[in-house]
Order: sequence, then structure tokens, then C-alpha cells
Amino acid sequence: MTINKVNTHIVPIEFEYHAPGSLDEAVALLEKYGEDAKILAGGTDLIPHMKQRKTEPKHIVNIKKIPELACIEETPDGIKIGALAKLRAVELSPQIREKVPMLSEAAGSIGSVQIRNLGTIGGNICNASPSADMATALMALEATVHVYGKDGAKEYPIAEFFQGRSDVSLERGELLTGFTVPYPPEGAGSAFEKVGWTTFDIATVNVAAVLTLKGGKIDHCSIALGACSPAPIKVALAEEILKGKEPTDEVLEEAMEFVAACVEPRKRWRRAPPEYRRRSSQALAMDAVGRAVEQARRHQ
Amino acid sequence: MSFPNMLYGRVLKSPHAHARIKAMDVSGAEAMGAVTLTPEEVPDVTYCPRLVSIPSATYKDWKVLTDKPHYVGEAIGAVAAESEEEAQKALEAIEVDYEVLGASFDALESMKPGAEPIHDEIYLEDDLLKVENNVGCQLEITEGDPKALEDADVVIERTYRTNRRYHNQLETKSVMVRPEADGGISVWSTTQTIHNTRLLLHDIYGIPMGKIRVYKVALGGSFGSSIHVNPVVNVAVGLALKSRRPVKLSYTREEDIRDHCAYQMIFKLKLGAYKNGKLAGGRLEAYLDIGAHQIQAYPLLGCVVGWWVSLYKLPYKDYVGKAVYTNKVPSCAFRGYGNPQISWVVETMMDELAGKIGVDPLDFRLNNYIGEGDIFWGQGPSVKSIIQSCGVEEILTRGAEMVDWYNRPNPEEQTGRYRRGWGVGRGYHTSSAGAPVPSSIVDFGGAMLKMNEDGTFDYVSALMDHGCGTQDAHIKIVAEELCVTADMVNIIRADTGTTVYDVCTHASRGVYSGGGAALKVAMKVKEKIRDFAGKILDAYPHAVRIRYDEEREQAVVFAEGIEGREVTYREIAETARHKNWGTAAAVESYRQPSCPPHFTGYFVEVEVDTWTGKVKLLRVVAGADIGTVINPMLAAGQVHGGFAQGWSMTVLEDLPYDPDDGDLVNRGSVANYKVPTTMDMLDLDDLTVFFADTYEPTGPFGAKGIGEGALNPVAGTVANAIQNALGVRFFQLPITPIRILEALREKEG
Repeated sequence: MTINKVNTHIVPIEFEYHAPGSLDEAVALLEKYGEDAKILAGGTDLIPHMKQRKTEPKHIVNIKKIPELACIEETPDGIKIGALAKLRAVELSPQIREKVPMLSEAAGSIGSVQIRNLGTIGGNICNASPSADMATALMALEATVHVYGKDGAKEYPIAEFFQGRSDVSLERGELLTGFTVPYPPEGAGSAFEKVGWTTFDIATVNVAAVLTLKGGKIDHCSIALGACSPAPIKVALAEEILKGKEPTDEVLEEAMEFVAACVEPRKRWRRAPPEYRRRSSQALAMDAVGRAVEQARRHQ
Repeated sequence: MSFPNMLYGRVLKSPHAHARIKAMDVSGAEAMGAVTLTPEEVPDVTYCPRLVSIPSATYKDWKVLTDKPHYVGEAIGAVAAESEEEAQKALEAIEVDYEVLGASFDALESMKPGAEPIHDEIYLEDDLLKVENNVGCQLEITEGDPKALEDADVVIERTYRTNRRYHNQLETKSVMVRPEADGGISVWSTTQTIHNTRLLLHDIYGIPMGKIRVYKVALGGSFGSSIHVNPVVNVAVGLALKSRRPVKLSYTREEDIRDHCAYQMIFKLKLGAYKNGKLAGGRLEAYLDIGAHQIQAYPLLGCVVGWWVSLYKLPYKDYVGKAVYTNKVPSCAFRGYGNPQISWVVETMMDELAGKIGVDPLDFRLNNYIGEGDIFWGQGPSVKSIIQSCGVEEILTRGAEMVDWYNRPNPEEQTGRYRRGWGVGRGYHTSSAGAPVPSSIVDFGGAMLKMNEDGTFDYVSALMDHGCGTQDAHIKIVAEELCVTADMVNIIRADTGTTVYDVCTHASRGVYSGGGAALKVAMKVKEKIRDFAGKILDAYPHAVRIRYDEEREQAVVFAEGIEGREVTYREIAETARHKNWGTAAAVESYRQPSCPPHFTGYFVEVEVDTWTGKVKLLRVVAGADIGTVINPMLAAGQVHGGFAQGWSMTVLEDLPYDPDDGDLVNRGSVANYKVPTTMDMLDLDDLTVFFADTYEPTGPFGAKGIGEGALNPVAGTVANAIQNALGVRFFQLPITPIRILEALREKEG
């Protein structure tokens, strides 16, 4: 019982503060202190966790002084977004709004403006909450993750980044530096949907969809579902059902059965029971796919 | 706020829902340099933290620090140190050995034979009482002939369960105490009553009243959570007296959410009606889950029946109310004081009854409401008066016209994903607890007003303003009476030493009663000004008139029709000083003669997404009868806030307990206690507020209250709108998306 310990006001623990100016310096510190160190980016998760004593790091490594980590830029492979890019910047970036509007939509759905002005896209991913809205959106967009460590830079698909609830595939001394979000195919439509109890709330369920139409039929199709399993997932079976078909109500409804089937109940699911998540994940997927289809039709 | 040499306090809270402390070792905390406080070091006084009722109606079961905690979060010790961080470390160094006792988390379970007794003995005034079946107090009332209910054409009986809600006021419960050289103390705290704070501290610590000064502090909200003196205040005084240094003690949000909440209630209601659209009678069983201590359970039992029987005319009424102890956070008043709970039940059943007898729910309400000329006892059976102003009919008929009520959708005709519905609900709240004769509730206030030597005025009142603009309304009342602009009347910072007694800002009495006191002193001062002016002008004081002169920016007293016979307030004040006439000043106490209900009514349109269970607000029309509207924007603001709070009560809020460890399921995290933000509410263009054209003869300039009536009908109205959309009724709050989908699955498969 932690009633005399846990609160969101007092940080009675002592720690050493580091503010490296380069990636190599940061990685050296993370390598040196390992589990004893925590990375400070936006702080919207770390600081409350410290007050709640979920973590009592001996070292805080503030990475905000590393200039290249906050970029948002167009590259031939897609939009490159630094891990330190604020959620608010992702929401408002003209490049993101033009090229991958769904990502902007997902970012804009998180918390409040105040939280989005602090929180970063990298933090939202590294915290590895099953309900992280950026995670579901980046899954559907099939983004690439960039990681930097003592052996230099490496990259892999975001689906391989999540190892389960609150766990990501970062080794000791490694730092997530950003993402490349590939440009969706020409004429694509996309949408992000979530349900929470208030606008301020984290998602009880979220869904992201990207698709294209060819001759009135769904061609490319990518659907991701969040908050229904230990990490966000791609709903491959639903994607397969939809591909090559006209998006009629019957087809959509058939595909949605597979979305609901992805709900993997947890032992202590306090926010909502599995039945609620199944029903609402279907509803949100219908909405997301429906909106993406409309958008794709407009692009034709 | 801070003082030089100030210490920061932290409270040691029980981690068990029910336990006996076998031993407490504070040596670790003291070794860190902290001042500690244990149950043996505070006065062994059993008290009630709310002193609004007279002693013979006040049940006592609290200790400043207890060695037998009854809920997770109860104060069992305290520390004070140089910083909050150090105090926190010292707190964690205290070791306690507990004997854990059985606990109960449900009112009905708690009353069962064999349930663990939560309190063996409590006090009523100074008499020791034995608690049986964990019932802290009870009330039974019957009026009329039971045959009326037996003869009814339609009778419905149902059980309803409300939610447990947290006040979520802006600042957590906080206090600063400074020990004074004369052995007294100065106190700044989050309170709705400085005088009752002083009374209680005097009772507990035995310090003479004149040496306890409790200062008014600006509040950002309270909603009833500081009608009683909050536990932090009594603990901080103990720390300050022991350390002989100023102590600041401010609860964290996690502590605050385990410090107070609204009363959760279980109702069994039976209502009967005749085919002619008239109510026959009813029977109500009310079980109030009061948590681990009594704050104002007994008066609440009276109010619950009062709220119930004063909504609609019931030829026969039968009531049993029981206040039941559970091992949960003690419940206290929360805007509406039981009225939102019982109004939800009554308004839900009124709709259902209307459906059964085939009358439109709006017409059914118009057929049965209690209005002008009727006896009203909203504040309980000991507070009766006659209603002298009533806008119920205007609210309902005007609102119905605005929303085209009689053409609302039929739930049976809707089958799609999104379904819309309109609901109606009405309610009221008392403005104060005044009445022609004394009751078991203390309700009077007072004020002081003096004219300054430049013709401006200083207004001094003990009445607390919780951020609602109550004092602003007083200033407008004083200025109106004295024919000056509001900026010529100053609000003076005040404390118990510089004010006369005011009971508390609660019961929607700030404008009606507090404003009544303001008007009384303004009238007295005006009389003195007339006297002075009469001498100066060589005119009869009762014949002179007063007007405001915009050019001179002064009120002018003049003898009408006689040129040159006029004098400004400034000249009057100056002359009075030069001629040694004294100050035009008055100090008065004021008891209001009545307890007028302010009536409210809502029309709400919602859209329910039957796939996600989410309910969206589309349109709200709110009508309020508050007599003369003193400040239209602030009054509308009260309706906006009341609606938001009621909406939140209906669809979002609850504080469930984890029976495994007796703590809140959300573990005190306000992030896991959902309330709507502005983004979740409808645009104010879609929320129309109108005021009925009424005048309350007993109120200052015809005014009544608004604070609580703005909230009371909301849950019933929203629930009725959801029913209109889905054809499903809910008997438990909140009506969450999860519950909506469950109910739809049951109904439609």
C-alpha cells in the first residue's frame, strides 16, 4: 500500500542531472548508467512517474539539448520526424498535414494543447503504452524507427519495436532518434479514430487506416488497432478481406469481425471489459475505413 | 502564501480501511529533524467537524488523529519539516504496527447482522450512543392517508443507486497556521465558514475565541467540501502548537480525493398516480452511504425527504431514511446536498409514470408541481415556509415552446446507429435554511458597512466567496441601495476578529441571506446619511431624496424642488467629521424570514452512438426562476457550471472501491477520475439560459439563489433524454458507454 508515498506533487528522490549536447555523449551516459538512468524528453510521463515513485532514477539524461532530434523534414523516403518533435508540432506541421494528414490527426487527439506542447512523439512511442495514439498511427503508416547506439545508427520497422506492454526493443545505451514515415501511395485516403471517456482521456480503443482505391475497389490497405492487446497491432486478416473488393457495407462488416477478434483481453482491464472493446473497435474501424474510402474517392 | 520560518506539514494516513494501531514509532522521522504528532499528543476530543446544526442535532465521531482508523486515508499522525520533500521523507520513516479489522464497502452489506461494527459508540451532543447495525442515525416521517397510494391506478416501485462523486474543486484542502505570542493562533484555510472554523478550534484546543483569528482566503471553488472544517486544519494546528512555528499543510490531489466525496445513495421509491394525471402518494426508503464518519448525515436525512416531497404534491408520503457507516471516505455536502440524487430518481420515475398513465411527461409535471402558496419544506421537516414566488410554469411552457417539445422523437421509431432524444427535468433548491421559526439548523449572518470620509464605503462581511461572485453581488446590492456606483463600495479583507458571525456560505444562501444582511446595513447607513443631510440642508431627513450625479461622480442628497438644497456624500462625510457627528456606519445581524425555493428546468437533446455507447450533447435549454437577477452573466455562469457538473454526474463520475485493499480503484489518481473538459461540453451557442420573470418578496431587491438549483435537475433530464433516444431506462449512475452497450445488447441482442 502506497498511500503515504504516491502522489503527483512531491519528488522527494535525489538524482543526478545530465544534459548531453550530442548523440554520442547521450549514448555514452545511457551506456554507463544503464537501468539507473532515465531519458527526459517531454517529461509528461517521466515526471509523473517519478512523483508516483513508479521509477526512482539515479540519473536523468535530458536529451533536449541535442539539436537534430527535433526535426520534421521531407526526404525521398518519406517524412523524417525526430524523436523530440513535440506532439503539437506533429499536429500542426504543414508537411505532415499535406503528406500524412492522419498522423497529424492522431497527434491532435492526444490530451490537451498543454500536454501536446510538452510531450514528444518519441516519448509517446518509447513509453510503449498499448493505448499510445502515435503508435497505432505509425503502425498503420508502416513507419521505420531510427535508433542510435554505441555501434552507430540502425533502423527497423516499427512493428518490431514493440516488445509488449511497456517494453520496447532498445538495448542498453540505445536511444530512439526518430522515424521515417513513408509517403502513402498516390491518391490514398486515411483516418484515425479513438474512443475515450473524455477528450482529455487516453484511448480506450484507437484505430488507424490507410488505403487506396483502384477502379472502385480497395487496393492498398493498412489497418492498425491500439489498446486492445499488449501493443498496437496490424489487423492483417481484415486488410486481406478488404483488398480487391468494393467497400460495400457488407464487405466492411465482414472485415470488422476480424478487427473485433483481435481484442486480446487482459487479466485486469479496468477501463473497459473485452466486450466493450470488441464492439467499439468494430465501430471505430468502420468509421476509420469509411472516412478513408471517402477521402480516397475524392482524390480520384 | 508563506511565512518566514515556516514548516511544511504532511499527514500520515491509514493504509487500512479499518484497523487498530498497536504501536507507532516516530523515532526515524525525528532523527531526520522533523516535528511529529501522534494521536496521544492531540486533545482527546470527539467532535463533529460541521457546526451548522444546533448541538442536539449534531452527531460526533471524529478525532483529530485517531488510533483506530476507519477508512483508507484517515489521519493517524503527522510530521512537519523544513521542506515538503523533507516532510515526505520523514513521513515514510514512521513505522506503524496495525491490527487489521474487518471492513465493509457497501451500505446494504454494512447493515447486515454480523457485519463488522465500524463505530461502537458515538456522541449526540454529549450523550453516548450505541451504534446498531452500523446505522449512524435515522429518520422516519409519514403524512397523509396510506389509502391514497393503495387506490392509485398505476404504481411503480424501483431501486436506484447513485454514484460516489469527488468535488474536484480547484485547490486541494490547505491550511496555514501561525502560533501567536499571546498563546493564540492565526489560521488561513480553505473554508466556507471562518466563524465555524474558530468555533471548532476553540472546542478542540480550548484556546479562548478572541485569540483564534481565522482569516478569509480567496477560494477557487469548494462545492460544499468545506462546510465542515477539513481534517488538515485541526492537524496543522496541532503541529503549529507543538513546533511553535508557522505550519503550512496542503493536501496533494491524491490525498484530497481520499478526503471528501458526495453522498452515495440507494433509494427504493414507490410512486402512485391516478389516471387523471394526479399523483396519489409515495413511499421512499433512502440508504445513505455516509462513509466512515458523520459530517452532516442527520440533517441530510431531513433534506432528502424534504427535497422529495417538495418537488410534487403527494397526498400521502411515507419515508424511512438511514445513514449507514461504511469503511470509505467520509461523505459530505456536494452542491445540491442530496437534491441531485433524489431529483434524478424522482424525475426518472415521473417520466416512467407519465408513460404508464398515458400523459405527456411535461403535462404530468405541470399537473403536480408544488408552487406559489404551497407549504415548502425543502430543507427538512423542521424548516417550513410558504412559497411566495414561483416560475415553474413559465420555465416549462417557455422551454417547451423553444424546443418544440411535443414533436420530439419517439424512441420506438429509431433503429439506426445514431439515435436522438429529448428529455425534460425540473428541480429547485432552497435559498438558505431560513424560516419564520427557529429550526435545528443555524442560519443567520451579518455585515458591517461604514461611510468613509471621502463619501466611499467599506463593506465588511464574514461570508466566504468561493469564486462565484457572491461578494460582487453584495456590492451591487449595497451600491443600489445607496445610489452609488459599485466601485465606491470596497470589500475589506476580514477575519473572525473583525466581523460578526455568519454561519457559512452554503445552501445557496450567499445572495439571498448574505445579500439580505448587506441590504440591511445599507438601509441603516442610508438612514444616517439622511439624518446628516437633513441637518446640513435644513430639511426633514425622511423627505430628502438621493440621486447619483454622473458629472460629479457623487451621490447627491437633495430636497426636491428647492434650489440650492443639495449636498454630495463627500460633503456630508466631511461635515460629519468636522462637526463631530460621528461615522455613518452600521453593523447588523440578519435572519431571513423564509426559505424560498429557486426553481429550475432543463430541456436536453442528446445523440447516442449505439456502437460505442457515447452520448453527445446537441442542445440544452435551461430556465431558471431566481427572482430578480442581480448579475445576469454570473447567474448564467452558475447555470453553465451546474449543467456541466450534472452532465458529468450522469455520464462519467464514480469512485468505486477495491475490496481487496479497501482503497479507491483509481488509487487517488485524478487522471483516472474523469470529468468533462470544455472540449467535451457543447458550444455555449447551443446552451440557452433564460430567467423567469418573478420577484421574491423576502429577498434583497427580490432576489433568490441559483447555485444548487442549477445542478439539481440535470441528471434526471439527461437520463430522460437517453431514454427517449434508446427506449432504455437506467437505474444506476453513471450511465457510461459500457452500461449503454450492455443495456442495448440486452434489449436488441
